Formats: sequence, structure tokens, C-alpha cells
Amino acid sequence: MGIQDIIEGKRQWRAHLARVKALPPDYQIVYKEIQRYYFKVGPLELTEGDLLSGLVDFFEEGAAAGKGVLELIGDDVAAFADGLIKDSRTYADVYQESVKQKPRK
Amino acid sequence: MDDLTEMLKGTLEGCVLQIIGREETYGYAITRRLNELGFHGVVEGTVYTILLRLEKNKLVQVTKRPSEQGPPRKFYALNDAGRKELATFWAKWEYVSSRIDKLKEGGR
Amino acid sequence: MSFWETITGSDLTREWKAFEVRAAALPPDHRAAWEQIKSHLFLYGDFTGRNLMPIFDGALGLLEETAADGQSIHDVLGDDIEGFCAALAGGEGARTFRDRWRAQLNRNVARKLGRLGG
Repeated sequence: MGIQDIIEGKRQWRAHLARVKALPPDYQIVYKEIQRYYFKVGPLELTEGDLLSGLVDFFEEGAAAGKGVLELIGDDVAAFADGLIKDSRTYADVYQESVKQKPRK
Repeated sequence: MDDLTEMLKGTLEGCVLQIIGREETYGYAITRRLNELGFHGVVEGTVYTILLRLEKNKLVQVTKRPSEQGPPRKFYALNDAGRKELATFWAKWEYVSSRIDKLKEGGR
Repeated sequence: MSFWETITGSDLTREWKAFEVRAAALPPDHRAAWEQIKSHLFLYGDFTGRNLMPIFDGALGLLEETAADGQSIHDVLGDDIEGFCAALAGGEGARTFRDRWRAQLNRNVARKLGRLGG
């Protein structure tokens, strides 16, 4: 499974992106930057949960209520992004654990 | 009073549990309640991250209901585990605040 | 046996080929960065590729997405690709990089929202 298949297959992924595109511009910017951040950090929720689609749900609600995106999540976007993956393990964690289990010769 | 973020960090989850414990409610209403209480720096995004964690830790029951404006809203109610967690939060709070009061009064 | 042989000679081949197809669609700079990221991440993969696959996948997703946005490779990875890869794999300096990514996120948002406001 790949990141592009996050939401069960490419068609859903495209539908997901269409939802992102329907958001107001400020929301789109913040969504994209958060997604990019998650690609680097690599939380397991990216592929195993509904982290991104849940985020779009939340953004759609905020936009529908007529709020600006920073009004909704605060100025510290990174703190918000980290809050969403607070207890989540990352691919790097999993990798590091596998290294410890199989020590190098 | 501004910039309570750091100080509130450990307690905000308990506050949200308490609000949900009163009656089933949704993110925006919870945020407004906290703002009215005097925590002006708390934004919906912060509450959202807390709600997501409560949901993940199975402390709340979530129901989607249609709303007048825009997409359906997620409503949150405490389940048994959530009520237990809330009781634990208040017990911890009593302990910490009583210790800190004692410190302030110059006791040991 | 090299890591390359390990993964190309295994059931991971198909998954790996899909990566290369995606990489081939990248603009030259981003494709070059992909090659660099591969060679650096291989250093971590001397036993099995499987646990590195999601990390490769995330790196490729990042390249695809920033290429689509027209961002330069330097904007995305900075100067230190080696350090970047170590951080991706959770190695030394991962925390420093996480802080840097965090700052980058806020900076990008501020810049782009500023541009939006005119």
C-alpha cells in the first residue's frame, strides 16, 4: 500500500483531493502544508487511519461556518498538526524498532 | 490573562471531558464554552485534536448529526470509560492543586 | 548481497517497480533528488527492505507533491540530503529535523497566506 492509496485506492484518493480543491484558498494552503509535513514525519495514521480525510471533514465544517483557517486552528499550524498525531507512532519508529530486533552482524 | 497555553496543556483534556460530561455536544460549542470561561486562546483546532484523541482512546461515543449549515456535525458523549477518566482527572487535579496551594502557603 | 539485490530479488520487486514508475514522471531535479535519497536510505537497509518501503513511499510522495506545486528541490529538502534521510529513518538528528520541518510548515503557511491576502 502506498501513500497515494491512503484512502483505500486511487479513486478515493482523487475524490479526497477534489474535496480539498473545493475548500477556500486559505484552507487549501494549510491543508497542503500539513500533508507535506506528515509525508516527512510519517505517522502510521497516514495509511492506517483516516487522519487526512478527518482533517478535511474538520476544515469543511470550519469553512461552512465562515471562519478563516487560522481562526479555526490558531497561528501555530505545526502545533495543531502535531496535536493530531500526538500518540501516533511513525514509520521511522517502526523502522528503528526493527533495527533493534535484528542487530547488525 | 494571555498565553496560558503551556499551563493548560495537561488540563485541557480534562476540561473537555467535563464539558462533554454535562451533555452531548460538539467541537465548536465546547470551544465557545472554554472561551466564555476565560480561556480565550483556545481555538477549535485545539479542541479538535483533543476530541480526536478521546475518540481514539475510546472515551467518548460519537454520533454524526446533520447541521443547519454545511456538513454533518460530530456530537460527543462520554461513555463509561470516559466517565472513569473524568473522575481520575478530578482526583489528580485535587491532588496537584492542594500540593501547589500548600507550597504557596509556605508549608512543606 | 547488496540492498538493491535484496529488494529487487524479492517479492518487493513489484512495489519497487511502482516507485520507479512514479519517479520517472518527476521533473529532472526532483528525479535527481530521488536518486540521492535512495542511495542515502540504502545505507539503512542492509537486512530487509520491507520496513523501509513506507519511508521511501513518503519521500516519493513528498517529491511528487512539491513538484506538482512547482517548488524547487532546495525548498523541500534544504542542503543536507544525508541528514534529511537520516531523519526520515528516525536516525541521528531526527528530532532536530522535526523541529526544522515544524518551523518550515509555519513559515510556508505564513508566506502563502500572506501572498493570498495581497
